[in-house]
Amino acid sequence: MRNVAIIGCGQTKHSARRRDVNLAEMVGDAVWNALEDAQVTPQEVDAFTVGNMQGFGGVAQPEQWLGDWIGAAGKPVLRVATGGSTGGCVAQAAFYAVASGLYDIAVATAWEKHSDSKEPGATTGLSHVALGNTINMINCGLSFKHLLSMTLVGAAAGVACYQAMYYMYRSGSRVEHLDMVAAKDRRNAAKNKYAHLQWPGCTPEDIAKTEWVAYPFRYGHICPASDGASAMVLACEDIARKRCKKPVWIKGLAAYSDEENQIMSEGAGGIGILDASQQIGATMSAIKAYRMAGIRDPQKEIDVAEIYQPFPNQELIFAERLGLFDEGTAWRALEKGETDINGRMPCDPSGGVNATNAIGSSALQRILECALQIMGKAEEHQVPKEVHNAVATGWGGATNYIAVTVLGDSPY
Amino acid sequence: MPYIKEERKETISVEGDWDIGGSTTWKDSTLLQGYAQGLKEKRIIGSLCPGCGKVIVPPRNICGRCHRKMDEKVVVSDIGTVTCFVISAPFAKGKMQVLGMDPVETGLVGEGERVISVYVKLDGADSNIDTELIGAKPEEVYVGMRVKAVWAKERQGKLSDLEAVEPLRD
Amino acid sequence: MAGRVAIVGYAQSHHQHDIQMTREDMVFEVAKGALRNAGISREDVDTVITASTDFLDGRTISNLYTSMAVGAYLKDESKVEEDGAFAAYYALMRILSGVHDIALVEAHTQGSVVNPHLVSSYTLDPLFERQYGFLNDISAAALQARMYMNKYGVSEEQVAMVAVKNLMNAADNLNAHRKMPDVTVEEVLNSKLYYDPIRELTMSPVSDGACAIVLASEEKAKEITDIPVWIEGVGSCQDGYLRDRSLYKLDSLQKAAQDAYGMAGVSNPFAQIDVFEVSEKYAHEELMIYEALGLCREGKGKTLIEKGMTGKDGEIPVNPSGGALGADPICATGLIRVVEAAKQIRGEANGYQIPAYRALAHGQFGICAQKNVVFILGSE
Ligand SMILES: [Zn+2]
Repeated sequence: MRNVAIIGCGQTKHSARRRDVNLAEMVGDAVWNALEDAQVTPQEVDAFTVGNMQGFGGVAQPEQWLGDWIGAAGKPVLRVATGGSTGGCVAQAAFYAVASGLYDIAVATAWEKHSDSKEPGATTGLSHVALGNTINMINCGLSFKHLLSMTLVGAAAGVACYQAMYYMYRSGSRVEHLDMVAAKDRRNAAKNKYAHLQWPGCTPEDIAKTEWVAYPFRYGHICPASDGASAMVLACEDIARKRCKKPVWIKGLAAYSDEENQIMSEGAGGIGILDASQQIGATMSAIKAYRMAGIRDPQKEIDVAEIYQPFPNQELIFAERLGLFDEGTAWRALEKGETDINGRMPCDPSGGVNATNAIGSSALQRILECALQIMGKAEEHQVPKEVHNAVATGWGGATNYIAVTVLGDSPY
Repeated sequence: MPYIKEERKETISVEGDWDIGGSTTWKDSTLLQGYAQGLKEKRIIGSLCPGCGKVIVPPRNICGRCHRKMDEKVVVSDIGTVTCFVISAPFAKGKMQVLGMDPVETGLVGEGERVISVYVKLDGADSNIDTELIGAKPEEVYVGMRVKAVWAKERQGKLSDLEAVEPLRD
Repeated sequence: MAGRVAIVGYAQSHHQHDIQMTREDMVFEVAKGALRNAGISREDVDTVITASTDFLDGRTISNLYTSMAVGAYLKDESKVEEDGAFAAYYALMRILSGVHDIALVEAHTQGSVVNPHLVSSYTLDPLFERQYGFLNDISAAALQARMYMNKYGVSEEQVAMVAVKNLMNAADNLNAHRKMPDVTVEEVLNSKLYYDPIRELTMSPVSDGACAIVLASEEKAKEITDIPVWIEGVGSCQDGYLRDRSLYKLDSLQKAAQDAYGMAGVSNPFAQIDVFEVSEKYAHEELMIYEALGLCREGKGKTLIEKGMTGKDGEIPVNPSGGALGADPICATGLIRVVEAAKQIRGEANGYQIPAYRALAHGQFGICAQKNVVFILGSE
């Protein structure tokens, strides 16, 4: 297998409404920033991988229109989309493009522009995940009350609500821990100039003052819908070593899907055989990615983690699935401050998805932020220790798609 | 890290209505209809996987683990166990709309009422159904609670025949 | 290419207008069928790549409820949101990287679910073309056809001959949707006019269908089958946006084909490739494809069709299966071409077999074939 490295990263400022740019300009900004960072000219790029959730912005196959803005005309472009994990899968596709030997330099870019939708994009887009099922259920005589109870958890936080309850029940953690994660992420985001929800000095008490969405979630727990884009330049070993002072190697990757904790099926049947907090797909992805990366003990060898956590419980669940903490103990580590930016195992020093969620871009940003930490370019939110290995996740579908990527400062 | 492009001024926003909505149709299976028909006779139907023996309620077409069709149907109990629950924020007039209606105004829920949504694993099933828990206060519900189906008085073979679940009292 | 990858199994549905099957069942059957054809089970598969789009499926995260049906449960899975030929291209990259050995590729669309021509208008520049509302894939293709026909003096009869050839070929293909064994040029020219010169029979039908293939690394392919179909070359390219490209030729296809030829060591496609399976969503596009693939000089596509050289018994048969004019389940169309090309090499194209050692398969996506991918398949 060819070694593949990230040699440049670019992202845009994320905020609720980027009305100063259109979609094409916004993605263009991210890609040009990445090319500039990598010191690569557009002509040198061999292939592009792109992705977003196209229902959210209302443009179908947007890369066909905005290809010219990112220099993709006359180049191979592969579009990958898997829901929330899209960005992770786009980055992994770029990895495969280079690792296959077909291309030497590839650009991965992912984005979302929610504010282009009339209603909040995330709401319209996500309701279309199960719209067919819901209509089928209404046709079969679903009661209005039941629809109400579905909408009430569905629209707000969907399956994540139940996922949080499952986790809290199994691990013994409480709503206060969700407050702590959310507060930490907003504090971290305040140090990240690209992040959306920045709240310097945010405390768990601040979060606890916000209103309930549905127990166990408060408004303060939930990610925003952001506009933004991110991009990375990937290259083969020769070029990476020549071009980049500190290339970040993609050492291991996997994206297993696990439907047994899925909320529904095509015909609206059966909710999860497993509970949604089990995430066997994440465990298996982590095992495979670590094996590829030669990491035996993630608790010792991983220095920083960027976890996809639109909802705070997911940071705790995935940290355990990634083997960063023992089963059911992530919340204890959180209490001790181990996941803080200066802790033993910093989780989401960038503020993560909980503070910035441009859905298609979010999972790519996790990998990008890991790369920044390894390169030492994370500026204010750089963790105060040497970073050799980092792990990033993406999470999508109805809890069933996972993309795990392990990065390191050396290819071996 | 390079610069953030901030020099752009406010640009125009073009209004447009490009809703894909009404033009979409779905081909759905009749499994859910069969399930709803069963409810008329107070029978809760699930599908049995010939490979792993798991029973999925409401019936599902395919077992992903075994990559097989689940054609056989079985009836499961109307008594089960709460595996998870979520409690809504107190309802208030004018707070939310479902299908263009205000649930408090239409009298569906009372002012200040909190709805409890539960996942229930019925006895004999391997998957959960989601439904509402009635007859219990939010602070009374717990994982592992035994519950029993509440049937509509006049059942018409609709999903609404299975109204909710209530705590099982013996 | 670093290693070699082969197609070791395939399956496709009976494409038709309004298939009486759920998406899930359709996907399940082709996935199962491809695995059965390869003689392997789901457990042997390392990675699964599917192709479908959210707009065409009318669902956000279109692959969400088909993952179990395709057999991706606890597999390394990804979805390509365009033609299935791109999914095959991605799966190929995954195997070449050495990370995976066996890949299952699946693509489907139920064209009857959402009007695909409406969806095509959503791919336009939302700030400009979409505001006018008169462009969609058909009207854009009409512009392209007029530009091409005017520039090279191609007549409507010559375009109609492509439709006649493909629709007659489709009659021999069990899986095809639009079979017209007795169609004539007059009939094509008298069919319903959509946007001049695009008529009902010179554009692809709206089909429901699915297709799946199994790819394997060299070592595994030799274990699995005695008749592996090797991928000798691949190329892919995307053109600029509609406004910013020359519509009268397919630049990106030409570039993709050159990449693929280079990889496969093909210098003279006319002589070295025995059969071509291309995605011509419109009859005039097939003529443009001849030129982009280097089968003739620019503007001379009309000569090939007129002389019958691309017919089933011509020197360079194109679309003996009937092509996209025969059936067009949008995301599956390109993958079906890969399957049809593989069938020719394996000698399994019952009723439309051409003696073939090397074949070309082409997939496209986007308005006026903006993106293209080309595979060169061979038996050696
Ligand atoms: Zn099973």
